[in-house]
Amino acid sequence: MFISYSWLFQLTHTNLSAPEVKERLTMVGLAIDAVEGHGDDAVLDVEVPSNRPDCLSHVGIAREVTVIDNGRLYLPPSEFIETDGRSADLTSVEIKDPDLCPRYAARLVRGVKIGPSPDWLAKRLETIGQRPINNVADITNYVLHELGQPLHAFDFAKLGGRRIVVRRATPGEKLKTLDGVERTLTGDMLVIADAEKAVALAGIMGGEESEISAQTTDVLIESAYFDPNSVRQTARQLGMDTEASRRFERGADCEGLLRAQQRCVELICELAGGVATEDAIDVYPQPLSERTVDLRPERVTELTSLTVEPAEIVRILTGLGFEQKEQAAGRLSFKVPSWRIDVEQEEDLVEEVARHTGYDKIGSELPPSNSSGEYQPTEMKQRSLRRALNAFGFDEAISLSFIQQDARFELIPSLSGHENDQPQLANPIIEDAAWMRSTLLPGLLDSLRHNFNHGIRDVRLFEIGRIFSIFKTGELPQETLALGLVATGGAIEEGRAQSERELDFFDLKGALEAAVDWMNLGPLTFAQTSARHLRAGQSALIESGDGTSIGTIGRLAESVAASYKFRQPVYVVELDLGALLSGPAKLIQYSPLPRYPSVTRDISLLVDRQVALDEIFAAVNNQQVADCRSVKLVGTFEGGNIPHGKRSVTLRLEYRSDERTLRDEEVEEYHSRLTARLLDTFGAQQR
Amino acid sequence: MTDSQNELSPEHQVEAARKAFEQEFERFARFTPRDLEAAVAEERALAELRTRHLGKKSALAATKKLIGRVAPDQRAAFGQLVQATEAAFVQSLDQAEQSLKDYIQNERTARESIDVTLPGRRPRFGHRHPITLLRERLEDVFVALGYAIEDDREIETDFYNFDALNIPQNHPARAWQDTFYTTDGFALRSQTSTVQIHAMQRRGVPVRMIAPGRVFRRDTPDPTHNPMFFQVEGLCVDRGITMAHLKGTVAEFLRRLFGADTVTRFRPSYFPFTEPSAEFDFSCFKCKGTGCRICKNSGWIELGGSGMVHPNVLRAVDVDPQQYSGFAFGFGIDRMTALMYELDDIRLLFENDVRFLEKFE
Repeated sequence: MFISYSWLFQLTHTNLSAPEVKERLTMVGLAIDAVEGHGDDAVLDVEVPSNRPDCLSHVGIAREVTVIDNGRLYLPPSEFIETDGRSADLTSVEIKDPDLCPRYAARLVRGVKIGPSPDWLAKRLETIGQRPINNVADITNYVLHELGQPLHAFDFAKLGGRRIVVRRATPGEKLKTLDGVERTLTGDMLVIADAEKAVALAGIMGGEESEISAQTTDVLIESAYFDPNSVRQTARQLGMDTEASRRFERGADCEGLLRAQQRCVELICELAGGVATEDAIDVYPQPLSERTVDLRPERVTELTSLTVEPAEIVRILTGLGFEQKEQAAGRLSFKVPSWRIDVEQEEDLVEEVARHTGYDKIGSELPPSNSSGEYQPTEMKQRSLRRALNAFGFDEAISLSFIQQDARFELIPSLSGHENDQPQLANPIIEDAAWMRSTLLPGLLDSLRHNFNHGIRDVRLFEIGRIFSIFKTGELPQETLALGLVATGGAIEEGRAQSERELDFFDLKGALEAAVDWMNLGPLTFAQTSARHLRAGQSALIESGDGTSIGTIGRLAESVAASYKFRQPVYVVELDLGALLSGPAKLIQYSPLPRYPSVTRDISLLVDRQVALDEIFAAVNNQQVADCRSVKLVGTFEGGNIPHGKRSVTLRLEYRSDERTLRDEEVEEYHSRLTARLLDTFGAQQR
Repeated sequence: MTDSQNELSPEHQVEAARKAFEQEFERFARFTPRDLEAAVAEERALAELRTRHLGKKSALAATKKLIGRVAPDQRAAFGQLVQATEAAFVQSLDQAEQSLKDYIQNERTARESIDVTLPGRRPRFGHRHPITLLRERLEDVFVALGYAIEDDREIETDFYNFDALNIPQNHPARAWQDTFYTTDGFALRSQTSTVQIHAMQRRGVPVRMIAPGRVFRRDTPDPTHNPMFFQVEGLCVDRGITMAHLKGTVAEFLRRLFGADTVTRFRPSYFPFTEPSAEFDFSCFKCKGTGCRICKNSGWIELGGSGMVHPNVLRAVDVDPQQYSGFAFGFGIDRMTALMYELDDIRLLFENDVRFLEKFE
């Protein structure tokens, strides 16, 4: 909202300079970014809060200024004008849809002479960025910027039947508005019509046909109140935003519209000649009732800690247009001015008093503390998770929560079966991103592609975020906290151009296991599986410590990789982090350090390729050889002289007794017994 | 014993041993090693020489047994002669050996020297996202101030996103232009103020909490907008809470984040869920208020909105506004991140470009 300083001065006789007005208005809640010089005037660009449509006018701003510098308002005086005839004898107003138009006033000025506005008027409009058109149009615009009430002047001769009908448009009805655009209306849009057709879009813009022209002699001045929602919806639907619609959609002053019309008529008679009718036709079937709000001075203190004397409270509020009513014990009572649509209860008055007393007068102290801080229950685990993944070279990604619908990915087990239940956005803003993600992988893989496109081929990323799925139609979607990882390229070291080796499945698995360990959660287990987006034979189901299936890990399937044009292996993980975090904690139990030495023996088994290491470990543990303390993998080997379909698995077994040092013969006996059983179990050969 | 030895006097035999030694030793005395390998071979040869000329079976050792053949009055002198000769051998050998050893050690040290400027064996560490860095810092500050960290749903009913927050039915924020809706009619939360409501329902009052989290608004992506961003909402409800407590709390956390000399300013504003409402600015952390690019030469950085919890919000969760009062505040984590690191384009935050992510930790 542009405010002319000289106009403001005329209304306030303020002692404040334009820069001072800028500073002081900003500190009462009307933020002003800049003061621009404009000839001998200055223009203030005021950011008016959406609940203060009354401040979309010079009088509204002036009212604030008079309270700031303890002055008074100098409203434009009423001028004597010549009148003749009653409006009702010349025209009529019918409101067919009072829900959308609670009040409509029409008044005529006959015998006007259309021409350019006088210089002072044209200059004022130009100062605040308005283009002068002709005297009558400019006067309506001037009054709008002075008092905040949008007005419209019709060429009375162009109104069919010489009357006004306020009604909803008929579906498909056409109206060419003042901007020259022919608009097709819908049945919920309010129009001003004459006896036959729509002549204006109510509260938004007039029609071209009834526009004031050089030939116009009689004008009908409309001053009305339109339902804010109706104006907003119609303006949005038609993509329009006008000085009028901006005010009506925030809420105009239903009680002030006659005064604005009077001011407009006086100016027309003065500047364009003509004779006004004696009165207006004022259709106002259900007048608004008076609003009164009480204020206890101590309530100001309770909410703001300010102590403001009742006399000062009264000064501030009456300065803003509130009328003090009779005083009851301990409370002040005020009639709310009709333009203050934002004031409903005591706290609203507290704000008026506080902002004009000055927020800078309010002290600054911490509230007395009676509580101890607490993090989200899993926050510390999640921090450990981030640190662990960082330590393994993973950067943290954050992706947009909306993606395109994507059937390439198998969802994590807790969402399985809900592949088609991704929540869809009714009003997306990014093309190809109209769905809430039900997997983190597309976002991570898009990020991977972004990095590849910038020549970075060694990338490890993780993301922690929610994924969404509709479990039951019509109910709120399920929100699941998920963890996703992607890794590709080399195992890079800082300061080196090239890595010594490429990442593989076990880098990703190791990082994940370490992260789980850092979170003090029980170990994960991995079992061969198949998943749509993972390459067969290099994919595993991840189970948490309590055996719940929580996600998958593996190499991205060729088909998916090809769709991203990835030319190097990519490894991915996605799991249900919420489920993981609620899994059992790692068991920490102290046992005394061994007192006797242990003996280790290695064994190499030639087994079928399909035999999983976990099976071999399980077999060792099943033997329950009393003093066999641990089994660890030394390595696996295939190819070379190993027969096709077989592999060699070398294990290291540790034997130790808690009672004494084991003798060689004993170890030999344990070990050969175990070896024999393993060979037998797996049909293996010893190498 | 050979005849020739028999023929020579003991003194002459000593002399002969000395000559033999000197003859053999001569090349060692003159020796300059060609390289490490030659020096090692020479060291071995020198050890052999030592054994040959000083060992039990050496010619010099043999002369010691001849003392009986020396005239008694000459024996002391002979003894000294043998000892002196032996000492001379030892000295020569030791000297040669020491210089060889020095050479070998120097050569080995030189060969095994490393370029200490080669990069250390340092696995590349990953980085937390800048939004996480700031979120964790904020959480730490507020936990220290006695606040609980809260969160809740990202897809919400109108009740939590609007109604309970006193956002009127016709408020523009509810419009399709501003808020995302699912086809089932649920809203993507447009502010983390929703968590105020959940938290008061869960915990009752008094309550003190902050809620950092993702929020969504229908902004077309550009250098200063994303349709998704991160916000922190703070809430403190208790008996006797005033705007002074709001000011004190906001000033305190901004001092902890931006330094003890940070000044905070409150300006009246409008939000449906607070009354009175205020926006808060803080003195620019870069120029300290003198004016710079970050604060657009104003000296102030506009950060967030705040105010006293609207009585209708308290009523929505069955809290009596005459008994309890509270303050709430909120601001964008993305915006603060962008300010702190002088980001020119906040879309970078969600592109996950590794070169970008590496810069913050």
